[in-house]
Amino acid sequence: MNFKISKIILYLLLFFLLVPLFVLVIWSFSNSWPWPNMLPKDLGIRAYKHIFSFRTGTLGVLIYSIILSATVTLITIIISIPASKALGVYDFPLKKLFKILVLAPIIVPPVAVAMGIHVSFIKMGLANTFLGVVLVHLIPCIPYGVRIITSVFEGIGEKMEIQAKVLGASSLQTFFHITLPMITPGVISAASMVFIVSFSQYFLTFLIGGGKVKTLSLVMFPYIQSGDRMMASAYSIVFSLTTLMILLIMEKSIKKKYKRETDLFV
Amino acid sequence: MIKDKIKPYILLLPIMTIIFGIFASGLIMGFMQSLGRFEAIGMTEFTLRYYKEVLIDKGFLSSFGFSFYISIVSSVIAVVVGVILAYLLLINKHKKGIEEIIYRIPIIVPHTVASLLVFNILAQSGVLPRILNFLGIINEQSQFPALVFDKNGWGIIFSYIWKEIPFIAMVVYTVLKNINDKLRDVALNLGSDKKQVFFHILLPLMMPSIISSFIIVFAFSFGAFEAPYLLGPTSPKALPVKAFIEYNNPDLTNRPYAMVINMILTFFSVMFILIYYKVFNLINRYSR
Repeated sequence: MNFKISKIILYLLLFFLLVPLFVLVIWSFSNSWPWPNMLPKDLGIRAYKHIFSFRTGTLGVLIYSIILSATVTLITIIISIPASKALGVYDFPLKKLFKILVLAPIIVPPVAVAMGIHVSFIKMGLANTFLGVVLVHLIPCIPYGVRIITSVFEGIGEKMEIQAKVLGASSLQTFFHITLPMITPGVISAASMVFIVSFSQYFLTFLIGGGKVKTLSLVMFPYIQSGDRMMASAYSIVFSLTTLMILLIMEKSIKKKYKRETDLFV
Repeated sequence: MIKDKIKPYILLLPIMTIIFGIFASGLIMGFMQSLGRFEAIGMTEFTLRYYKEVLIDKGFLSSFGFSFYISIVSSVIAVVVGVILAYLLLINKHKKGIEEIIYRIPIIVPHTVASLLVFNILAQSGVLPRILNFLGIINEQSQFPALVFDKNGWGIIFSYIWKEIPFIAMVVYTVLKNINDKLRDVALNLGSDKKQVFFHILLPLMMPSIISSFIIVFAFSFGAFEAPYLLGPTSPKALPVKAFIEYNNPDLTNRPYAMVINMILTFFSVMFILIYYKVFNLINRYSR
């Protein structure tokens, strides 16, 4: 009896989480859905046709957004791996301070950072550029990258690397053949999280990109703001499916490579 | 060896360049401007005038209250429901449950889209009023309470809890899954019931992850711009929205007001979290 109640509550919660997404899908296919109809009057793909017509250039925006967020993800991971190793494996003076500094962007509102740095970015010619937006995206992404990869390093320690070095491996060999394969699963989840954070960014892109750097989040926003439900919903679906696809590809390709590499050692 | 001593610092160098170069310097420059020093337009004098003006402004105080209220209500609801969801997932675990995947979907949906979902359902032309109308509970759109753009911030709160419940559940569930089943079995064997197992064994073990995820969602909702901008009332405005409006004023001498709001926002985010940690440590000490 008790067991059944818990199941009902579980499914009610899942229902609460999923129903809005079903509504979103229906609305994206509704050419017309006036009050008080329970179902749309006219179903169709007008919104999607509009999004993918050459005139709106959404496909280009989509590819541009993916490249931008992939760049952010790559840089975040490259700088997070050494930092996470330092924080996860070694003990040194001021370690706590460094940890707080790296994780602080989760707590401090990005609005404050972006408005503060904006003038300097304008002076340095970084405002309204791809590079400027990539740099400012790094801030909310770094805490996620470091948090996840640090916990991986805390788990594996340094023993295996020392072992490899004792056996005569160079630093590079040790990194690529020992460290990297061991941290890869953690790196995948960090990269996925970082990609999501960057891809969803609206305010930072809007302020630093000044409307010149057009990502999907930015293009989608006015439709949501004006309450154009059909277009906004269709954009949201395209956005979510793209994210999902990128995450799957990332996980699959790295896993495949990871498997092959470990096979060599068996 | 000297080389070993400086190694951690070298490893931290690239990330610290970004943290100091963008994050810290952004905050410092915002702080300088909040004190009235804005060299780009020739303001070089330090003054506390802007802080005084902002702090006695009634509009600011109601914005502050509104932001705090939204963050605390949405974070508490999200944490409670998120923990329940994680627990239910644990006790209803099948071999290959699809539940484990689908509950995480909202995590990849951005806050702008979450705002749209709320608008689609709770606005007076949304799906919920249509259902109520169909059932004959209401006869007109206007009979449905304004849950979007309302002074109570229901729309914003709903969009936050929809996004945050899965996040909390994911963090807590990861911990729950790794708690040794034996602990539970021993307690059950010694005669405790399910409730006791939950409150005396599982909850204390989940506590650190609950605290850290609460901090993240609270700080996020306190400083986030999108949801209150899209779903909030004209007044009071959430602090980040108010800061942006001041910032966007074409008169650049208005900038210090935006920066003051930003600094207060930053200061309180940090303070709330310190207080929370302190209280948590106190409770922890006394309950032992």
